[in-house]
Amino acid sequence: MRLTLALHPVTGLEFADATRLDGTRLQVDREELRQLLLKDRRLQSVDLETVCPGESSRVGDIFDILEPRAKEPGSGADFPGILGPYVLAGQGTTHVLRGSAVTVLDEGLPRAGGKLLEMGGEAGAATPYGALHHLVIIPHGVPGLPRHAFQNALRLASVTASVYLARAAVRRVPATIEVFDLEGPQVGGREGLLRAAFIGQIHGHQHGGEADEHILYGSNTQGMIPVPLHPNEWLDGAVVLSYWNNHNEETYFYQNHPVILELYRRHQAGELTFVGSIATVAASLEEERDRNCMVAAHLAKWTLGADVVLLTKYGGGAPHADMGLTARLCETMGMRTVVAVTGSAGDSQAESALLFNYPEVDAIVHVGGNGIKWAVGRPERVFAGTPEAAEALATLREVSASRVCGVANAQGASKVSITVY
Amino acid sequence: MEKAGIPVVQITAVTPVARMVGSNRVIQGHGIVHPLGDADLPPEEEKELRRQLVQQALEALKREVKS
Amino acid sequence: MRVVHYLNQFFGGVGGEEKAGTSLEVHSGALGPGRVLEQALGEGFQVVQTLVCGDNYAVENMDELSVRVLEMVRSAKADLFVAGPCFNAGRYGVAAGALCAAVQAELGIPAVTAMVPENPGVDLYRQELYIVDSGSNVAAMRDVVARMAHISLKLVRQEPIGRPSEEGYISRGILRDELVERTAAARMADMVLAKANEEPFESELPVTVFPPVPAPPPVRDMSRAIIAVVTDGGLVPLGNPDHIPLSAATIWGSYSVAGIDNLEGGNYEVAHRGYDTRHVLEDPNRLVPLDVLRELERAGVIGKLYEEFLSTSGLGNPLGNSRRLGREMAQKLKGVVDAVILTST
Repeated sequence: MRLTLALHPVTGLEFADATRLDGTRLQVDREELRQLLLKDRRLQSVDLETVCPGESSRVGDIFDILEPRAKEPGSGADFPGILGPYVLAGQGTTHVLRGSAVTVLDEGLPRAGGKLLEMGGEAGAATPYGALHHLVIIPHGVPGLPRHAFQNALRLASVTASVYLARAAVRRVPATIEVFDLEGPQVGGREGLLRAAFIGQIHGHQHGGEADEHILYGSNTQGMIPVPLHPNEWLDGAVVLSYWNNHNEETYFYQNHPVILELYRRHQAGELTFVGSIATVAASLEEERDRNCMVAAHLAKWTLGADVVLLTKYGGGAPHADMGLTARLCETMGMRTVVAVTGSAGDSQAESALLFNYPEVDAIVHVGGNGIKWAVGRPERVFAGTPEAAEALATLREVSASRVCGVANAQGASKVSITVY
Repeated sequence: MEKAGIPVVQITAVTPVARMVGSNRVIQGHGIVHPLGDADLPPEEEKELRRQLVQQALEALKREVKS
Repeated sequence: MRVVHYLNQFFGGVGGEEKAGTSLEVHSGALGPGRVLEQALGEGFQVVQTLVCGDNYAVENMDELSVRVLEMVRSAKADLFVAGPCFNAGRYGVAAGALCAAVQAELGIPAVTAMVPENPGVDLYRQELYIVDSGSNVAAMRDVVARMAHISLKLVRQEPIGRPSEEGYISRGILRDELVERTAAARMADMVLAKANEEPFESELPVTVFPPVPAPPPVRDMSRAIIAVVTDGGLVPLGNPDHIPLSAATIWGSYSVAGIDNLEGGNYEVAHRGYDTRHVLEDPNRLVPLDVLRELERAGVIGKLYEEFLSTSGLGNPLGNSRRLGREMAQKLKGVVDAVILTST
């Protein structure tokens, strides 16, 4: 499967009388976008703001961050299953506004204790999001709207705005293109190279799910068993963040999945053969866990023919158990594994850090986050869902790296590590 | 509590964690969100499920365990 | 710089196992390994006092010994306290660890000891202390003492201490976040390729091993047993009267169920934000199965249901904290109930 990303660099973002890409400056018709988003009758108003690199800005609580992308007409569908019809994601050409982001806030989290975007200072320098031009969208729901309906409206607003912006680049000549082309497990002519697969969790059922929740091709993953995906599908809109979104994942890093991009690089460099990926969910029920872990490991072995497997988890503590068990089954079947864990205990003690202990699962990367705190001052600009949240954000004295989107990213972008002393 | 000599049976949906930390009597509960229930069952069947889990737990407390 | 050194009866030259009951003796100046220590620490350091105690006496009279040692170290105006090296000697290791921990905590001066990683003193005191890995070869005394001196000098000078593998001490299990150049994804790929190629790799987290807990004897006669329910799912009466935190709870609560046959949804809330709590809020029996326990009590299957249920939040809880909560709950229930049903989310 072959996916071409047409990259249009963005080095500036401003509101203007029409939405267009003026060189590398992205200009946005604020009123037109607002009216587009307000077609969703569940929203009574939408605020739109811009936040750019180097600014002293703080934004929260974050619902999700996406990279603006739009399919070349005739080469597929945008966010199939959510916006577009069921067309396989990951093929054809997709236009990308590289250097920009759509950042959606959630006013339903009025206490401002969740994830935030920090543009300035040490925190801003430590997150890849600090280098992006963000169109910040602050939707306000109509009174009495059920929580899940509001979350659904946020999801639709996020993908609608993402596609709307990137359509400004369609039919323009990209600055560069990137080609993602993998034959899959049947690839030949690469004898002697280790065959690598990726198993990624995309939800945890301990947090249930809503009937209208979009995660994988628009489905809410209830009753899902692990499913092989071509790595390009992750990169091209098949997967978005679930409503359990207060940990270190964003849709942006599905579209730019660090593990998938790393395996692509090493595949192209001839260090290994990237044979494919599997999407799975962490379970609530024990039998669901046993089944999913077993199926995922078997898919890696028999469908993908993997020698080595890289595993990531989703959300909080319990999904570690699912990831650990899957890795153990892979090891038992003769595949070598590495897992990425996240901070789950607040005491900085190694003994509290793991929720599994299998002697075979001994290659562990830790994305950190709980142990770094930055002293912060009052930023010049604050954007939040409610005035109370804005005030809480403005007066923060200290932020933990685990709250700043992108720093301790669990999808593999984290440049934090843990050392045991 | 077991260190203090009180026998404990743990009902949990995440039995690997319970076993990892040394829990000696573990019963598999019915889901993280309701270890002793199932919102999808009619009330009477759900209560029967709960009764069975509690009885399993009591049986486990009566059994000798080698740690 | 003034150093006080602690030795057991064997290394202090009093005698072997037959002298293990000897009580604390005080010598001025260095003795045995202390002379090596003095040399290794170098100019400006003097072992002003050596404390020698029998291993049995030490572990049997730990509290009293601590008080006396603290007093002596204080009056010696010591800048550094060193105990051992203890090698494989378990009682010696436990005493050395306890005394170092006490000195460090009470007097605020650095304290260093050394032993093998399997010494029980390591399990007890590794988190608080720098314990040098001594190996089990007593003939390597000079090397071991040199490593103790190296860490001691850094502590006295308040210089940063590097990783366990660089500095020669036993990992304290303390996690430190560090900003690094490479992404987690790149580190994952490196590590798994090294592992598959059977090359050395360093996991960023060691696999934790939990010592087994001996299983208490079973309940002989269930029809006469008093059973308590404990939950880490955070069920509390409406209003959360004890203010149990929703995450990393430091406290627990105990709530009466006297005269209640069935937990009603409207009367309770859940102090836990790690799972979707709607189902438990709707019917708390799904977490604390009071309804069926009452039936079983009436039918004589169990003797009696304890009149309260105990609750805390297990979310994101450090193990040290969880252990304390467990100990406190055990104190309340010990001798009062015959068995516990623990429900976990």
